[in-house]
Amino acid sequence: MTAFRSVLVITLGMAAGAVGQDYARRAQELEYKGDAAQARELLMRAVQENSNDVAALRAYAEFLDEHRDPGARAAYERLLAADHGGDRVNVARRLVILDLLAGDRASAAQHLEAYRAAGGAGLSMPPATNHKSAERQTISIPGPLRSFARMAALSPDLAPEDLLPALARNIVTNGYQAGSGNEGLEQTEYLKLIVRYLSQARELEKLAGAEHTIKIATCESEATGELLRVLGYRMRGGCGADLVLETVNATRAFLTIDSGFPLAELEQALRTNRPFVYDYHPTQIPILYGVDYWQSAREKATGEFIDYFISDPPMCRLYLGLAKLDPITADAIRKTTPAPRLKAYAHVLDFFGGMFQIRDGKAVVPGSPRSDKAWAELAGVGPDKGAAFFEKLITRDDGWLASYFDALLRINGPVRDYLTEPERMKRFYAAIRGKVTSPGPARPVFRSNTDMMLLTTRLRLDPNGKPHVPGNIQVWKDLFITHPHGKYDGKLTKSAAGWKDPDDVLEALFALCRKAVENEPLKMFMAVSDVERRRSKPLEPGTVARLIRDYRSLGAQYVIFGDVPSVSDQSIVMFLDVAQETMQMRDQLLKSDTAGTVQALVSIWEILCRQGAISASDADATLASILSPFTKIRRERELFDAGRNGVNVILKAAGAPANASPQDAMMDLIAGAVHASDTETATQVVQDMVRIFEAQRLISLGTLFDLADNLEKVAAGAKLDPALVKKLSSRIAEIQPPRASLTTVERNSLAFGYWAEKHIDNERKVNIQAAIEKAGSDAEKLRDVRGLLAPFLRDTLVAFNYAHYAPPGAQVLQTNPVFVRSHDFLGLQGIAQTWKNTELFGSGWPANAGGRLVGSLVGLPYALAEAEQNFLVPSREQALIWGDLVPQMLVTATVPRWWHVTPSQLHWVNLHMAYGEAVLAQAALDSKMRENALAVLELHAPPARVRKIQSLVEQGDVREALENVTPAEMFAMAAHLCENDATSMLAAEIRQRAKESPRELNYAAISRAFGTPKPTLTNSYAPELLNIRTFPTLMGYSSRIMAESWESNLLYYAALADEIHIPPSQLNVMIPSWTQQTVEKIFATHLEDWPALLRSLRMVGDDARQKARRQLAGAAAGAGE
Amino acid sequence: MKPARDQRVQRGVAVTVIRNFTMAGIATAVCAAAFFPLAHQLKAQEEKRPVFRIKVDMVVLSFTVTDSKGRYINGLKPKDFRILEDGIPQKIATFAEGNRPPLQVMEDGSTKPLVTEGDIKSGPEARADAFVGTNVFVLFDTSNYMYRGFVYASDAIADFVRGLDRADSVAIYTYSRNLNRAATLTRERNDAIIGLRKAVAGDDSALYNCLLLTLRDAAKVPGRKVVIVFSNGPDNASMVAPDDVRAVAEDEGIPIYVISTNEVNKDPISSGVFRRITQRTGGKSYFAKTWQKQVEAFESIREDLGNSYTITYYPQPNPNEGFRKISVEIVSDVAKKYRVRARPGYRPRGGF
Repeated sequence: MTAFRSVLVITLGMAAGAVGQDYARRAQELEYKGDAAQARELLMRAVQENSNDVAALRAYAEFLDEHRDPGARAAYERLLAADHGGDRVNVARRLVILDLLAGDRASAAQHLEAYRAAGGAGLSMPPATNHKSAERQTISIPGPLRSFARMAALSPDLAPEDLLPALARNIVTNGYQAGSGNEGLEQTEYLKLIVRYLSQARELEKLAGAEHTIKIATCESEATGELLRVLGYRMRGGCGADLVLETVNATRAFLTIDSGFPLAELEQALRTNRPFVYDYHPTQIPILYGVDYWQSAREKATGEFIDYFISDPPMCRLYLGLAKLDPITADAIRKTTPAPRLKAYAHVLDFFGGMFQIRDGKAVVPGSPRSDKAWAELAGVGPDKGAAFFEKLITRDDGWLASYFDALLRINGPVRDYLTEPERMKRFYAAIRGKVTSPGPARPVFRSNTDMMLLTTRLRLDPNGKPHVPGNIQVWKDLFITHPHGKYDGKLTKSAAGWKDPDDVLEALFALCRKAVENEPLKMFMAVSDVERRRSKPLEPGTVARLIRDYRSLGAQYVIFGDVPSVSDQSIVMFLDVAQETMQMRDQLLKSDTAGTVQALVSIWEILCRQGAISASDADATLASILSPFTKIRRERELFDAGRNGVNVILKAAGAPANASPQDAMMDLIAGAVHASDTETATQVVQDMVRIFEAQRLISLGTLFDLADNLEKVAAGAKLDPALVKKLSSRIAEIQPPRASLTTVERNSLAFGYWAEKHIDNERKVNIQAAIEKAGSDAEKLRDVRGLLAPFLRDTLVAFNYAHYAPPGAQVLQTNPVFVRSHDFLGLQGIAQTWKNTELFGSGWPANAGGRLVGSLVGLPYALAEAEQNFLVPSREQALIWGDLVPQMLVTATVPRWWHVTPSQLHWVNLHMAYGEAVLAQAALDSKMRENALAVLELHAPPARVRKIQSLVEQGDVREALENVTPAEMFAMAAHLCENDATSMLAAEIRQRAKESPRELNYAAISRAFGTPKPTLTNSYAPELLNIRTFPTLMGYSSRIMAESWESNLLYYAALADEIHIPPSQLNVMIPSWTQQTVEKIFATHLEDWPALLRSLRMVGDDARQKARRQLAGAAAGAGE
Repeated sequence: MKPARDQRVQRGVAVTVIRNFTMAGIATAVCAAAFFPLAHQLKAQEEKRPVFRIKVDMVVLSFTVTDSKGRYINGLKPKDFRILEDGIPQKIATFAEGNRPPLQVMEDGSTKPLVTEGDIKSGPEARADAFVGTNVFVLFDTSNYMYRGFVYASDAIADFVRGLDRADSVAIYTYSRNLNRAATLTRERNDAIIGLRKAVAGDDSALYNCLLLTLRDAAKVPGRKVVIVFSNGPDNASMVAPDDVRAVAEDEGIPIYVISTNEVNKDPISSGVFRRITQRTGGKSYFAKTWQKQVEAFESIREDLGNSYTITYYPQPNPNEGFRKISVEIVSDVAKKYRVRARPGYRPRGGF
């Protein structure tokens, strides 16, 4: 706390001894140098040695507070006791806040008294109501929750009120499938097992009797046989040590095991003839609005609610939809609209209801109040009618209007203002709606309005207030009129001739959002917009036209231009030319090697630009120099020379000395370890990469270049260096496959295309000595021999990329020695994949050489993460959230590097977290602060969650409220509020620090340091924070967007590192490790179960804190001795 | 002298020594302002210090000896065997039969106990008896492929665990798309069975991924170890190939046993892979569709474990950094009719 601490040191210096001030100053110096651990130790010593020195006590307490150390409370307590000066009011106020954050209401009340006694005013404790004990209706489920949760694939960590919605979601998405032979739905195996389990659980409940306890007194007792019958087991061998339980009824036995019944414990009890006791109380689960809302009296008589619930998927969907609404809105809607009518539109409510909000009886609509009338026209009822408006909204146009409403309500700022201009809003909706509204956007199991959400989220406005259209209108008119890729829409083709305004293009893009087929123009628009987003000068219209023309074959590569905004139009065109040239190559091996080499070089260039090793001013010239020789490759020798030139160009641009070993220099650059002050961490990172190189049996750049030089000399009449040839041949020998598990016939019967094998096979056959002998004395032919090295150079360059992006563990890279070599740059026959996104092929094919990556290198980070995700070992028996989320989390840990992050940046993030928490705590005591905090949270979190936080804060349960705020939301809220908060010392500290170091402590710098790569959402791997709402589960490719919209991990880790005094450089090792642990601890119920991810994140944080505190205690004990 | 990391890329042998350089380099690197601190520090250190290249990897080799009718031959002594690695005779360091404590083989061929009675009684935590008994890793398929036979398989494994020798330790791992360490290595049978009975069924099958992770865990444990795979066969989610997994097992000296619940002719390719993987690691494969056959298969594995010999040796100098062929010869004339089943060889450990 620079501002805070220095001010206090001065003011208190008069009263306190100079010792404390001196300690505070020295600690501050240490902290600024990045040695927070030493600073802490120093201050602790100061307090121990000068227990009555107010300045020392204060400095120590504030240091702990700033770093969110739990010891801060005790330190402030001591300060409060020692300080009789005028600052007691601030100390007491801070204590109240910390007490609430710690969940200690009693202490908070005491300190509030102290605050008032010291002259403080304006804060009051919230009324003590226990929201948990509030009366709510429940339903009963037989047996323990743990067993039911296992059978229904629910996380046992779910809050009670979230159980039924989670079950409803599972029933909707996994419970039913189209029946064979009739139009009805039939139960899936998942649901059948739940039904069978419930039946078994009821039988067990009968055995448990009125005491709800299954008791087996002895092995011989009558109850034993009956229990075993229900469980599907029988005894083999008589009672005693030889007894074994074995399956007699497989169906029942399966349920017993799968539901986690303690069979082994029962068996052990029977073997030792000890009583077996198992608590079998039924589980009470809260239900929204009570059973009466969902079932008629007649229906209630037919059986238990849970059976009725799982047998009615529309009802499950309605339950899910209503559960997503904030309680006040849901209550209003259900009171206005009869349940059967709501049920008919449950699918629309489920997908688009989450953003509905009624406030003071009025519907909150995007663009209000200016757009109120337009919404009234579109829906047929005005927003002032609240629930009636929403009823109309969900029933209108098969859900299209609700979908549009949702897309607009999810965004904020000038784009929303622009799109909700009444006439424009109606115009665009008319385009979306079209004439035929069926099928609606809520028909599938997952949302299909991805394109509309993308368009509204990613649209940019130019300084003139108009939407940004890359190139000019003509470029887009041409696309729709001449349609080089085929017609998109006949009507749009006709109307395009008259386009004059950006809104005309936008209208067409909105219209295409309706299409069920892939919306290519929108993707082009987004991709090119993203290329332009960070450029200082927009692209030339000609370049935009070229990018549009080449989009289908080369669009995946545009990410590169988005990542490095200083690349010129000329270099972009040169890149496209080289790519087109490569595609025309007829020699498939040369094509594959050329594509691999140029892509690997460009990717290395991109990494070094991202890491700052190649400056923005050199980036374009470097790319042009890399690409230039690739415009005319005809044979392998030219390819080798072009590749070698590329390496030299990159090394020179990155400032490597001319005499450095190219291998070492490249490795250090790729690892980001150049100039690293923390050599221990840098060495560790480099060693991890070298280990991968070694496992992949690759040939170093040094050896390849030395050999090439020697071959050049041979052409001039010198002798071949046998040592170099031996190096190469010994490495080639290592890639000879050991005896295969499969015969050739078996491999061919199962495996797909073998181009990658051809590449490896050719390498295996390379014999330099024989090639030289064959060339005889022909100097030109002798020079051609170095072309034999081109495939090896390709592999080495590709491997730098694989090593850089290797996910934590890297099991595939460590185990399959030809994984890098088997990268298939050609792809399946008939599909030109050379410049397409990287894809994973061949997993689960025991017959081939394991999985491999196919396509270009542009999506390598994601593809490698995808390949690795199944090697992660869940720490609990079920882990249900993998798929798209985990690879994206791994990418977040492998693409960014933190060598240039400063200790001040870590601390600044942590200060924001501390301030955000303080804001929520203060919100419990101060209604004005509550209003401000919730208003900001509403920009990021859905209404239902904001209302929950509000309710918790109003009841003083700050700890629980914090559990409902993600780190990204906390950071955004703090950033939003700290600017104008004159009362908070933490806010003052944030501002003061930013003022002192404006270049490193600003939101753009933090976004670069702790933002996440979003290749699907932003067409770029450049890390950034967008501060957007998390996306829902979407259909198709866009399911990755949901994962990309989660921005909390790195911010959380940054704050954690500051808290436990980890230097920023160590984040390069710790973040991959923490990420792996976070993934392994996730226990989620469904894809959107963000709370599960948050829980996991916090568990990892708690583990790290405990470890750090143990070390600290150990160090203190050591020092004491 | 060649650049440090160039050398590491070329060969794995020098790796340990160079790592020492790296660590030594750290102390001075902080004050160095050279452009590439790491590369320069490493090189500077390398130039100053002598290089000693020593390989200390011990090879653990388990094998069985059977007569022409497949009956186990017990009671053979160290002097009855000759171990060759690429034709180079090796000196046996320790020798053990079945689950008996290992014996140290002296220079003159005599033996003496390696582990005392006290060591064995000191409990599993002490691990002084790490080389007594076998560390058995059971990898149980709980994927959708195993859905129907899940409970019977669970019973068969439970029986197997109960019947293991007292000296053996057992770990129960289950797998579907991911690995689950249901019970980590323990001598407490009941703990292992509790873990087994908590397995959850369902999901894709990534057999070879999970077998690889199991082997990696097993490799960290000292002493003799085996992996027993109980699977239906198919794999629809692995990234690594059977060959690569088998190579890890070969190099680590871990026999793989497979009990497939599929019939051989139903999935001939998986069956073929199982056969070859097990043969080449010194294990065995069984095709046991019924519960009874599965129990018999486990019984056979147990017999194999109880009747195998385990020797260790430190390899004699051998320039071959690739696959080294191991042969176990029985030198006694009477015993020449006997058949030895062992892994065919291994690759010396490279990397770091």
